[in-house]
Amino acid sequence: MQQPSFFKNLIGMFLKFLPLAVVIWLIVAWFGLPDIMRWALAGVVMVYAFLLALPSKRLAEKSFGQNIKFKLPIIIVVAGAIWVMAGKAGFPVWWQIEFVSFAFVGLAFFILLDTRALKPEKSTSSWVFRLLTTYALASGLFIAITAQLPQFDPQVEIEKLNRPPIKLSGLAGPEVIAAGREVFENNKCFNCHKVFWEGNSDRGPNLGSKQIGLYSEEYIRNQIIDPRADQAPGFEDKKSKKAMPTYYEEDLSEDEIHALVSYLKTLRDPTHMPVEGKFPNQWTWWDDPKIIAEGKVVFEGAEPATEGLNCAVCHGKDGIPMMTGALDFRNAEQHDTDKMPDQLKGVPLKEWPDALWYKRVTRGVDNTPMAPWGMIFQHLYLWKAEAYARTFHDPLDKRTEKRPVPPIPTKEDIAKWKTDELFLDPLL
Amino acid sequence: MQNSSGQPQTRSSIFAVIIALILFYGIGHLTPASLSNSSSPLFGLSGPSVAYAEEDEDEEDEEDEEDEEDEEDEEDEGEEGEEGAEGEEEGEDLSYLTDIGPAAEHEFSEFSLFGLSNRKFTWFAAQLHILFASFILGCPMFVVIMEVMGARRTQGVRKAIILSNVFLGVLIGVVIGITAEVIVGIHHGVLYGMWACAFGGLVVSFLNYFHKCMNVKVSGVIGAIFGTVVACALTPVETYHADGVILAVINGFVGGLLANFIMFAEADFKFERLAHEVTKVIGFCYSFTALTGGLFLFIMMVAYGDFISYLVSTFPVLFMVAYPTLFIVETIVMYAYVYSWDPLNKSNKKGRHIVLGVILNIFGLSLLCALDGPATFMQTPPLPLDQLTNISEWDRLTTATWMPLNYHRLVGNGTFGGYMVCIIGAYMYLWSEKKEEKEYYDWVGYIGNIIGVGIMLPLPAMGYIFVREIYQYDATIGMYIMSDRESMFMLVQGLLVGTMFSVSNIYMWVSMKRIENAQRFFPAMKFGFILIIIAATIWFTPRRFFATMMPEPGMDSNMVLPDNLAFLALMIAKNTAAFALVIITFVNYIFYTIATKTGKVHYGKINPLGVYCLIFLGFADIWLMSWMGTIRELSRMNWHIYKVFKDVTPEKFTPSLAESGFHVTTIVWTFFIVMTCIIWLGIKYPKSKKKAQEVSPQATPQVAE
Repeated sequence: MQQPSFFKNLIGMFLKFLPLAVVIWLIVAWFGLPDIMRWALAGVVMVYAFLLALPSKRLAEKSFGQNIKFKLPIIIVVAGAIWVMAGKAGFPVWWQIEFVSFAFVGLAFFILLDTRALKPEKSTSSWVFRLLTTYALASGLFIAITAQLPQFDPQVEIEKLNRPPIKLSGLAGPEVIAAGREVFENNKCFNCHKVFWEGNSDRGPNLGSKQIGLYSEEYIRNQIIDPRADQAPGFEDKKSKKAMPTYYEEDLSEDEIHALVSYLKTLRDPTHMPVEGKFPNQWTWWDDPKIIAEGKVVFEGAEPATEGLNCAVCHGKDGIPMMTGALDFRNAEQHDTDKMPDQLKGVPLKEWPDALWYKRVTRGVDNTPMAPWGMIFQHLYLWKAEAYARTFHDPLDKRTEKRPVPPIPTKEDIAKWKTDELFLDPLL
Repeated sequence: MQNSSGQPQTRSSIFAVIIALILFYGIGHLTPASLSNSSSPLFGLSGPSVAYAEEDEDEEDEEDEEDEEDEEDEEDEGEEGEEGAEGEEEGEDLSYLTDIGPAAEHEFSEFSLFGLSNRKFTWFAAQLHILFASFILGCPMFVVIMEVMGARRTQGVRKAIILSNVFLGVLIGVVIGITAEVIVGIHHGVLYGMWACAFGGLVVSFLNYFHKCMNVKVSGVIGAIFGTVVACALTPVETYHADGVILAVINGFVGGLLANFIMFAEADFKFERLAHEVTKVIGFCYSFTALTGGLFLFIMMVAYGDFISYLVSTFPVLFMVAYPTLFIVETIVMYAYVYSWDPLNKSNKKGRHIVLGVILNIFGLSLLCALDGPATFMQTPPLPLDQLTNISEWDRLTTATWMPLNYHRLVGNGTFGGYMVCIIGAYMYLWSEKKEEKEYYDWVGYIGNIIGVGIMLPLPAMGYIFVREIYQYDATIGMYIMSDRESMFMLVQGLLVGTMFSVSNIYMWVSMKRIENAQRFFPAMKFGFILIIIAATIWFTPRRFFATMMPEPGMDSNMVLPDNLAFLALMIAKNTAAFALVIITFVNYIFYTIATKTGKVHYGKINPLGVYCLIFLGFADIWLMSWMGTIRELSRMNWHIYKVFKDVTPEKFTPSLAESGFHVTTIVWTFFIVMTCIIWLGIKYPKSKKKAQEVSPQATPQVAE
């Protein structure tokens, strides 16, 4: 019987597989998965159709040399390409090694597929040897995998387990904060919340760049014991709402909660506006309409929590300064004052770094009525007022793009904040 | 001639040397943790040493003595200072280590023998027991189905098939239903699935028994209609949603189709023989289950006496009445099933034997569910914990993770049984000399692999359900498994599953080479293999290359994926990779099945590599099962019963990955050595004995009606 031609076969296969590809495309769309996945899966189905239409060829068994003749150079090229591409994509070296290793696993897999059939066992010793080899290979593989993957030292866990529970009587300041950090670690908060550069995932807000320490103790405490009452901006989706466990009130002692809150209160960044939202869809308070609205209330002296603070008295309700020398927020080209020893020269107001805003408001300006408000009022409100003040020269409704989210501060940056005394004591 | 015969020998010796080196390397080098942590050498038997609670008393005694000495030698400042410091240190209040719950009364003695400790002895006995138990609970499930497939359709057999179809319907319905419940989010999916599939199968079986509705498609439709009606009536929901009803329709349809297929399937004696041979092995394994169970209990009484007393007394009815009763009844039914095989066949009562098999399975599953109660109680005791002593024993048993673990072990045991059939087939293939025997055992391997892989496909979903429930109970346990000290353990699991799927595919490839006209599928299969490698790579890719949530001393904190690439390590990527592995393997199975249906299969002519692939698969599956058991046990951290009964022994920590890997390998080796002997004694030895009498089939054929 004559075999149908390749093209006839191909068209037949395509017609058979096309409905399946369409169904898969629709199912993937229904699940709301990314477009690329839709096309990739439908494409895979059509590749299968093409490969099944190929004329049937008898599979020749190859010697080891023939087997690797093409495969080895191809895999070396593929592995090289993977290495370069992974490096360019930003994968650290261990991941590059992993991907290349898997390329060679693939090589071994394909060599095995095309290798010559083993000869049937002629004697007992022959199958016993092969059997033991199989077991040795399997055991050796599993022992090697478990031995060579990254290990931990059980002693570290033993030391943690043997540590006495946190009791705050007689402790103060740094000791309580350190105890709070321990509570944070022991309860695996790092699994969902990063603290600046530390931590594992962005399932919950990065408590460092969000600057949870700006909030009141009561607010932080409520977020721990009743996390679903007030969802963080950007985490309102169904999955995020259910993510934070609700048992911490029962699980943690009063001392532990107090220590934890004390630790969280230290999470501040004097050089950047707080950041909201879920990675990668994040924004700063500069562009947050809700924060700006709240900032307006502070700026105009109507916020009960900052009673006595009224920026509009000097800077004007509509941005027109009411006092000579007061900074005119409408003028985007203004420069930093020359009254301060650490003046930032040559940078117009529209490009002022967050740190300069923060410094001027919290520490005040020497020899002017601009007082160190940071010594008196909670910094949470001061940042909000700054976000509003900016709108005088950069109105929210006219912005075409948001301010970029600042890079996450490094360990060194944070150490520097302390040495440069950027934080005020007591923290407000 | 000399040269040609000499070459393989040389090659063998080279291989032997390589293997010896690998083993030597494995034992000597790859287990630094196990060696460094073992305080005693291999034969260092040390008697009981008293730790913690009693140690505190000793310390107090010493302290008193020192205090007296201090008083005497007040002028010796140096000594006084030193001893004073020691006194202070020893006088420190360490009661927090033991002051939680029942652990307060703790007394602990440490034993060490052959490098094993209290925990490792317990670990060894417990896992060995669970492995044998899995065999005797997993294999009977499909042994009954095999027996049905091999039985001639007499009236009695057809009556029994009605019952076995319902049993099969329940199993399949539960698996499909729970998968849909989790993946699609169908409320009460498991109930819809179970009722529809079971009743669909029941109705169709009845009709088929009376030679009505013999068309397979019509049976499917009738199963769908009746199954859906019953499922909707029995599932306690206030409003019916389309997804639940669709699930019921699908399950009813599947139940109807299966019922019809099984009722009218042509009896194949190979299935009868396979079922009978596996049953013989089950008989032996049953004894070993009891033996290792006893060993486990004795070790627990010595190593963790206070805890086991607490646990047993928490479930008085279970351990005094239900468990012994179930165990005894199961034993009676089991031996009745094994030893009545030939007599019932001879007296043309095959149907009764099948019914006995179904009953055996029902008791077996009840036993499994009963013991999952205390197991899950240890991990997720019912909340609130302060009410633990006030709730009923039933409430203590049916914890949040009880049903998920039941599902997981049900499917896991099925997979286990399938791969053990692979092992039996592979061993017997190697031990057979006759061509017909080799053909038959080649087929057994093929069937075992189908069962193993087929049941393994929904296994990831069952694992997901279990872990999801753990997260809901207490996310700290879930995080300990997925992101903290057990994260690398889970990575090993990913590698193992990837390896198993790969080897399973290699087996299929090798098997297809002995099927005529199967080469037309090879290009497509090779494409699938590339996808498998990519999927396995994604599954393996971790968020970080250090073994804890936060870097500990000696770890490189930079070994973390940057945020923009972290998606590769998230569950969505892992699930996609797992899904791809399952689907591609399934597609390859479709190719394999089409090839066997459309081309001649040359059984007995398989490339021997395929046989060793089966053995590798069996070993890997059992290793993986032991590994997952290890992960589950260690996830309780320093608690025997999570947040109720604290582990205050020196081994309350999680052992390192290397140490765990080595210990699990030791356990699996022990199991395999025993199983090899059992398979020999159960199947090969009787065969050799009967060889002289030339009785070819193993099971006595059923008498004609």
